[in-house]
Amino acid sequence: MSDEAFTGFAGWLAEPSDPPVEGRPDWLEAQCSLARERLAGLDVPNSKTESWRYTSLKGLMEQDFARAGENMTALQSDDLEEVLIPGLDAYRILLVNGRYLPELSAHEDLPSGVRVAGLRDLIANEPDLLRTHLNAVAPPDSQPLFAALNTAGMDDGLVLFVARGVVLERPIELIHLSVGLDEPRVAQPRHLVVLEDGAQATLVERYVSLGDSIYCTNSVLELALGRDALLKHDRIQMESPNAFHITGLYLTQSANSHYQGVNIGLGASWSRTDLNCRFQGEHAECDLQGLYLAGDRQLMDYHLDVLHSLPNCSSRETFKGILYGRGRAVFDGRVFVAPQAQKTDAAMSNRNLLLSEQSEVDTKPQLEISADDVKCSHGTTVGQIEPEMLFYLRSRGIGASLARRMLCLGFADEVVQRLSSDALRDHVSEQVGQRLESAPMD
Amino acid sequence: MLSVKGLKANVGDKEILKGLDLEIAPGEVHAIMGPNGAGKSTLSHVLSGREGYEVTAGSATFLGQDLLALAPEERAQIGLFLAFQYPVELPGVNNTYFLKAALNSLRKARGEPELDAVSFLRLIKEKLKILDLDDALLKRAVNAGFSGGEKKRNEIFQMALLEPRLAILDETDSGLDIDALRVVADGVNALRSPERSMIVVTHYQRLLDYIQPDYVHVLAKGRIIRSGGKELALELEEKGYGWIDSEGQAA
Ligand SMILES: Nc1ncnc2c1ncn2[C@@H]1O[C@H](COP(=O)(O)OP(=O)(O)OP(=O)(O)O)[C@@H](O)[C@H]1O
Ligand SMILES: [Mg+2]
Repeated sequence: MSDEAFTGFAGWLAEPSDPPVEGRPDWLEAQCSLARERLAGLDVPNSKTESWRYTSLKGLMEQDFARAGENMTALQSDDLEEVLIPGLDAYRILLVNGRYLPELSAHEDLPSGVRVAGLRDLIANEPDLLRTHLNAVAPPDSQPLFAALNTAGMDDGLVLFVARGVVLERPIELIHLSVGLDEPRVAQPRHLVVLEDGAQATLVERYVSLGDSIYCTNSVLELALGRDALLKHDRIQMESPNAFHITGLYLTQSANSHYQGVNIGLGASWSRTDLNCRFQGEHAECDLQGLYLAGDRQLMDYHLDVLHSLPNCSSRETFKGILYGRGRAVFDGRVFVAPQAQKTDAAMSNRNLLLSEQSEVDTKPQLEISADDVKCSHGTTVGQIEPEMLFYLRSRGIGASLARRMLCLGFADEVVQRLSSDALRDHVSEQVGQRLESAPMD
Repeated sequence: MLSVKGLKANVGDKEILKGLDLEIAPGEVHAIMGPNGAGKSTLSHVLSGREGYEVTAGSATFLGQDLLALAPEERAQIGLFLAFQYPVELPGVNNTYFLKAALNSLRKARGEPELDAVSFLRLIKEKLKILDLDDALLKRAVNAGFSGGEKKRNEIFQMALLEPRLAILDETDSGLDIDALRVVADGVNALRSPERSMIVVTHYQRLLDYIQPDYVHVLAKGRIIRSGGKELALELEEKGYGWIDSEGQAA
């Protein structure tokens, strides 16, 4: 199985027609080949692999993706207008099919101490800047399959550094735009975000497409937060309805740091998101929020892995899902509290609203607690729209379908409110509303 | 305006309304009193179209239309309004957005243009004053975390905004403090007009001191067993329901 399977990913790593990343330093070359070697020994997950129990790779394996490369499209600024969010004031970094596009990016006048660059450029020109952190948050010798694929095929992505004590008020918006090409392509963007001690920033990370073609995005993010650092991180996955989307997010938090992540999943036919958090100092707080919508032919698969290995840290995992048609979702949340991690405060919840009989969610929150002086809780619900609530709205003259949509948006609101700006809240509410409007309600 | 004839309704196998008659003309205010569990809320729910009730006999005609054949929203669109005994909390649904959706749904059904944001807010401000409501409530989710009294006032506020032809107030007075009762009653009275009728369900004479009814009915065991003028309420306050029961049986 694995021999045959592997040819399915061969195209992901084959050298692209354009020249390979130039001037790659030895240390990085060594890491990438380590990932390649590791891949040779990794089996393709199947239904017996615990973390892939509910999600089949079949559809992905059937595609013969070729690696996306440079200059595959002539994008105009008008094309970009279509995907911009009205009212969102941000520095903009644009990646098209995995490649940084400086012409249509806009991040001039960054305050001193803030560095925004394309990964490919930095590798070629200032590789030493990357040495401490790249492949350090997610070391290649322990990466799972898709992260290893990303490392082995490392090409381009966003690099964001915020120096000690610098507070960046204006958000950084990372737009990953996929443009339909003649054949199915896979882009493997690799992002690195480093906030030094006391630094603060807001990152808005969006995956969007022009058209509804078949492609795959296999992204990896490494996020390193220094002491007292604060990162607000809004992630909005709105890939094409025929796309495959994979995210592996790796986060390390030093003492007193705060991470506030909001994961919105609306697009792609098949998507898999792994969020991993490790604490490296006490009194750090990690807040992982999520909202996902899955309709016909859509799968949303979330895996959370939060490891409390030190005392006095807190984590929140709050995920909500709305499923309709034959939509499917998986929530597999794991919070591990090591014996020495006393005074850990962890609360995980996963609530789902099923709007149809054929929709389905597999939810598996797991708290593994080995310390005795902790405050930990978890809960899941899978339910339908409350008839009482629906009647209340209808009794005021509001038609049944609008009433249902209002209640779904109300359900989603708790997570939507956590987004970092009104512009994003409006954008997401509108997108959720639009999807529900065309959703079959039975 | 409303004509209910021989209405029988079940919940599951249990018959709750057992042949109920009620005639309401435009501009009239009818009080309905009666013991707990008599079927007062059931009547309100059946008239407004809530699920879970099976009408087994009788009819309800509202403004010439067969009320029971309409969806709940259609009943509201032709002018029916129910102030809930237990208003429902809608977490995450913003109150202002809700009010606007409701008002515009009614306007759309009547073929009127939707109100723009500015005119809507002006209207809201005006109605808020009538009910002495804090406009902070508008920014919150519908009824979520509202106090009992705030919920009741919010119901009457919605009524003031939606301007129904027939309003059914199901125990709007219970849970209100004395001042709030006064405010709510003033709000209701301000809405009285020759075209607008009301059904006021209450257990207490006190509300009827403020909102003077044209008729008082006693609903017991699923039927209107006695009707009279506003003096009937005083009599009930004094003697309870027992005497009518026995009288009804004797008759
Ligand atoms: N969903 C239900 N399932 C079973 N019984 C019900 C249901 N709804 C109402 N009933 C019963 O119907 C009867 C009438 O209830 P209803 O709420 O109409 O009374 P009410 O006159 O409004 O009383 P109260 O003055 O206490 O508000 C009660 O015995 C109640 O238990
Ligand atoms: Mg009642």
